[in-house]
Amino acid sequence: MSERELLPTATGKRTRAAVRELLRPRRALALGGLTVLIGATAVGLLTAPLLGHIVDLVAGGSSSFTLPVLALAGVAVVRGAANAWGLSLISRLGEGMLADLRERFVERALGLPLERIEHAGSGDLTSRVTSDVAVIAKSVREALPELGRSVLTIVLTLGALAILDWRFLLAALLAAPIQLHTVRWYVRRAIPLYAAQRVAGGALQHQLLDTVGGARTVRAFRLSAEHVERGRRRSQEAVDLSLRGIRLMTRFFSRLNLAEFVGLSAVLAAGFWLVGAGAATIGVATAAALYFHSLFNPINAALALVDDALAATASLARLVGVADLPGEREPERPAAPVDSSVKAAAVGHAYVPGHDVLRDVDLEISGAERVALVGASGAGKTTLAKLIAGIHRPARGSIVLGGVGLDELGPAGTRRTVALISQEVHVFAGTLADDLRLSSPEATDAELRAALDRVGALHWVDALPTGLSTVVGEGAHRLTVTQAQQLALVRLVLADPPIAILDEATAEAGSAGARVLEVAAGRALEGRTGLVVAHRLTQAAAADRVVVLDAGRVVETGTHEELVARGGRYATLWAAWSDTRHSPS
Amino acid sequence: MPTGRSVLRGAVVGQKRHVGGASLLASAHQGGEALVPVIIGLVIDQAVTTGAADALLRWLAVLAAVFIALSFSYRFASRAAERASEQAAHRLRLDVTERVLDPRGGTEAGRLPGALVNIATGDAKRVGAVNGVLPFAVAGLAGLLVSAVALLRISVPLGLLVLLGTPPLLWLTHVVGRPLERRSGVEQERVAHASGVAADLVSGLRVLKGIGAEAAAVARYRRTSRDSLAATLRAARAHAGHDGAILALTGIFIALVALVGANLAASGDITVGQLVAAVGLAQFLLTPFQIFAWVNGQIAQGRASAERIASVLAAAPAVVPGSATLPAPAAGRIRLRGVTHGSLRGLDLDVAAGELLGVVTTDPAAATQLLECLGREADPAEGSVELDGIPLPELALDDLRGAVLVAAHDADLFEGSLLDNVVAGAARANVDRALVASAADEVAETLPQGTRTVLAERGRSLSGGQRQRVALARALAANPPVLAVHDPTTAVDAVTEARIAGELREIRQGRTTILVTTSPALLAVTDRVVLLGGGTVSAEGTHAELVHADEDYRTAVLT
Repeated sequence: MSERELLPTATGKRTRAAVRELLRPRRALALGGLTVLIGATAVGLLTAPLLGHIVDLVAGGSSSFTLPVLALAGVAVVRGAANAWGLSLISRLGEGMLADLRERFVERALGLPLERIEHAGSGDLTSRVTSDVAVIAKSVREALPELGRSVLTIVLTLGALAILDWRFLLAALLAAPIQLHTVRWYVRRAIPLYAAQRVAGGALQHQLLDTVGGARTVRAFRLSAEHVERGRRRSQEAVDLSLRGIRLMTRFFSRLNLAEFVGLSAVLAAGFWLVGAGAATIGVATAAALYFHSLFNPINAALALVDDALAATASLARLVGVADLPGEREPERPAAPVDSSVKAAAVGHAYVPGHDVLRDVDLEISGAERVALVGASGAGKTTLAKLIAGIHRPARGSIVLGGVGLDELGPAGTRRTVALISQEVHVFAGTLADDLRLSSPEATDAELRAALDRVGALHWVDALPTGLSTVVGEGAHRLTVTQAQQLALVRLVLADPPIAILDEATAEAGSAGARVLEVAAGRALEGRTGLVVAHRLTQAAAADRVVVLDAGRVVETGTHEELVARGGRYATLWAAWSDTRHSPS
Repeated sequence: MPTGRSVLRGAVVGQKRHVGGASLLASAHQGGEALVPVIIGLVIDQAVTTGAADALLRWLAVLAAVFIALSFSYRFASRAAERASEQAAHRLRLDVTERVLDPRGGTEAGRLPGALVNIATGDAKRVGAVNGVLPFAVAGLAGLLVSAVALLRISVPLGLLVLLGTPPLLWLTHVVGRPLERRSGVEQERVAHASGVAADLVSGLRVLKGIGAEAAAVARYRRTSRDSLAATLRAARAHAGHDGAILALTGIFIALVALVGANLAASGDITVGQLVAAVGLAQFLLTPFQIFAWVNGQIAQGRASAERIASVLAAAPAVVPGSATLPAPAAGRIRLRGVTHGSLRGLDLDVAAGELLGVVTTDPAAATQLLECLGREADPAEGSVELDGIPLPELALDDLRGAVLVAAHDADLFEGSLLDNVVAGAARANVDRALVASAADEVAETLPQGTRTVLAERGRSLSGGQRQRVALARALAANPPVLAVHDPTTAVDAVTEARIAGELREIRQGRTTILVTTSPALLAVTDRVVLLGGGTVSAEGTHAELVHADEDYRTAVLT
C-alpha cells in the first residue's frame, strides 16, 4: 500500500487567517481583556518603586511609612482584582474561539466523504479531534494566560527599569542575547524530541491495548512472555525518551541561570556606579535590583512556554486544515425521488487504477422488491452496496435511485433515500434513546419503542437496568454483538428510507445470533426496497430475486428456484450449503 | 497481597538511591535560590551604599558561585528525580501487564480493557510521579530552613513575623482555592466527555453515514461542546479569582513586612540592606509552601493510583493452577462429569482421543461456558473436567494450555504481519498447511504484501471473514492435541466454508477436535454431534441422523 494520504494541514498563513476570523466577532472582548491585564501589570510594577521609596525614607532618616505602606497594600488589592478580571476575559476569548473551531471541525469531519477518511485512516481524524484539541485547550487554559501575563510583565518591567534610569535597562538587556540564543538552541532540539516522545507514548498505549485487550487470546496461546516483552520494549523506549527530554530541559534552564546571573550582576554594578556618580539614589538602585530579580520567574515561564506554543500552533494547523475543507455541495435544485426503485447501469469501479473491482454491472430493482447479492469473498458485493448507497462514486456508469441520478439527488437527498447497514457495528456512547435518536432526532419514546418492537429488541431493552435510559457504549453497559446489530436495524426503521442496503449485517453475530438478526432484518425491510448482501444462503432463498456476482461481474440473476434449476454458479453454491442440510449422506 | 500503601512504598523504596540523591541536590538548589535576595541586600549595604568597589567585586563573585551551585544542583536533582519517577512507573507498568497476562487470569472481571490500560499507563505514571516530587518537598523544607535562619539573623521580631505569618496566609489561599478544586473536577469531566463524544462519533462515522445521521451527530456534539465550554468558563473564572486573591493577599503581606522592617530600620535595629533582604525573603518563602501544597496533591493522586494498581495486582485468580505434568504427547481424551457452570446443568460428556466432535447448543451462553471450562478460564461450580484421566485443576496451566487450545469466537489478532499472527508459538512446518486449511491463503493473496502484510491493531484492517480465517489458521498451526473451536466461519461465505470444513477434517486427522458451531457445513464432517439443550446432552448421533431424527436439532442447525 502506498503512503497514507493524510488529511490536509493548513499553512501558517492560513492558520493565522483562521485565528483572525475567529477573533473578529470577539474584538471588543480581546481589546478589553488586554487593556485590563496591562493595567493590572502596570499597577503591580508600582511595588518595587514603593519599596525603593521606603528604603529612601529610611536612608533619609524619616519614620513615617504609613502612606507608602498603605499604597503598597492598595496596589496589591487593585492588582489582584484586575488580574482576576483580565484573566477571566482572556479565557472567555480563548475558550470561545476554541469551541467554535472544534465544532466547525467536527461538522466538516463528519461531512467528509468516506473515501477520503479511509485513505487517511480514521486514526488521523480521531487523533485530531482528541489530542490536537486537548493540546490547544491546554495552551488556551494554561500557557496562553501565563505567557500573556509574563510577556506583559517583562515588557512593562523593562519599561519601568528605563524610567528609573535608561542605563539600568541597558544592563538588564545584557541577559537578552543569551536568552534568545538559548531558546533557539532549545527549540531546535525540543521539537523533534517531543514529537518522538508523543510517538513513543502512542506506541506504548497501542501495544498495551493490543496486549491487554487480547489477554484471553494471549493466555490461550501461551504468548504471555512474548507480550510482556513487547510491552517492556515499548515502555523502555518511552522511558529513555523521557530521560532525554529532562536532560535537554535541565540544560536549557542552566543556560537561563547564566543569563540571570549576567543580568543581575550588571544591574547591581550599574546601581553601584550610578549611586557612586550621584545619578541615582540607593532606593532607585534597590528598586532596579528588585525589578530584575522579580523578572526571573516570568522570563523562565515565558521561555519554557515557547515549545507549548509551538505544539499548539502545529495542532491548530491540523484542525484548521480539516475545518477549512469545503462542505458538501448540494445541487441548486435537488430533485426528489419519484419511486423507490434502484437502477445501476454499466457500473464499473476500481479503488486502485487498473484493478477493477466491478465491471459493467447492470442491476435494476423495482420498488419494494428484495434482492439478495451473492458471491464469494472479494466478488465485489460490498463495493456495489457502497456505490448504490452513494458512499463511493462509481468510476464508470451511473446509479439512479427512485428515478433520479445521484448527482441530481444531492448528498442530503441521497441520505434521505437510501440507508446502508454495514457489518461494522458501533454503539454510540450515551443513553440508548440518544443513540437511536441520531437517526430520528424528533422521535418520541413511544416511536422508539415501536421501532424496537418491530425488530424484536423491545424485550431485552425493557430488561436493561433503566430501559431506554440505560447508558451504553464504550465504558458503560456492554451490549452483545447481536443486540448492537439489532440497534443498527432499529436506527434503519427510525430513519425510514425507501431504500435499504444490508451488507453482511448478520455475519459477526455467531450462528445463533444470525438467526435472530435475519428475522429482525426481514421486519426492518418490510415496505422498503431492499438489497441484502447475503452470506447465509437462507437469506438469499428468502429474497424475491438473487443476483450472483463473480469477480466483479453479474453472472446470474433470477429467483432462487430459477437459479437452482439453471444449474449454474448459484446452484453449485446452494448445493454446498443445502447438501449438508437436506440430503445428509 | 499488595495494597495501595505497599505499592506506593515499593515504588519509592525501589528508587531510594535516586530519590535520596535528588533530595540532597534539590535542597542545595533551594538554599541557593534563598541566598540570592540575601546577596542583593549585601551588595546594596556593603557596596552600593559605601561605594566600595572591592566589596562589589567580592559579592558578585559570591553571587557567581551561588549561581553555579544552584544551577548544577538543579540540573542533577531534576535528572535523578525524573529517573526515579520513570523507572518506578516502568516497573509498575510491567507488573500490571504481567499480572493481566498471568495464565491464572482474573483481572479482567469487572474491568474494560481500556480501564486496565489506563491503570498500566496513567496510574503507573502517577505513582512514579511521587518519586519525582518528593525531592522537591524535601528541598522546599531546606529552603524554608535557610530563609528562616537568614531572617532570624537579620531580626528576631521580623523573622518571627514572616515565619508565623506565612502559614496562615497560605491557609487563607487554600480556603480561597477550595471551590476551585471542585470546579476544575467538574470541568475536567465535561471536557473529557466532549472529547469522548467527538471520538465516539468519528469512530462510528461509517454507521452515521449509512443512515444519514451526520447532521444529528453534529448537533449533538455542538450541545456537548457548549456544555463543556460553560463548565470551563466557570472553572476559569474561579481560577482567575483564586490567582487574583493570592496576588492581593501576598501583596498585603509584603506591605506588612515592609512596614515592620522599615520601622526597625528607622530605629537602627537593622540596616537598609537587611530590610531589602527581608522583603525578598518574604517573597521567596511563599515558594516552599506552594511546593508543599503541590506535592501534597501529587501524593494524594499517587495514593489513589496506587490503590487501583494494587487492586489489579491483588485480583483473585480465576483459577488456581495445579502442578501435575502431562505425559508428552497427550492422548487428548476429554471427560466431563456432572459439570454445572452457568447454564450447564450436570453435563456428562466424553470425547475420545482423535475424535472430531460437533457440539451444538440451543443456548449461545452454554457454548461459551463449556469452552471456559475446557480451557480452564473458569472452574465449574460442580463436577469435573478431565484430560487423559487427570482432572484439569491438578495440571500445571502451561501444560494444560499447551495440550488444550480453545479458539474463541471473538479471538483477537495482534499487531504484526499476518504470518506473525499465525506463527504465534507454532512450529513453522505447520503454518503453510494451516494457512491453506483455513483458506487464509486466499486472504493473503488479496493483501498487498501477502502473508507479510502488517495488520492494523487487533486485525482491524481485515474484514470479519478475513479475520476469522486468520484466527482459524493460527489455531490450526498451533496443532494442539485437543483443539476446541467456536463458530470459526460465521462471517465466511458458503463456498469457502465448505472448503474449510473438508480441510479441517483432514488437518486434524488423529487429534481431538471439538467444533462448537451450528453450521451444517462444518457439522457434516464431524464423527459425532452432541446437542446441548437445557444444560446437558439432549441428543447425540451423526449430523445426518440428528437432522432426520431430532426436531430441536433441525431448528438449531437448519433454520
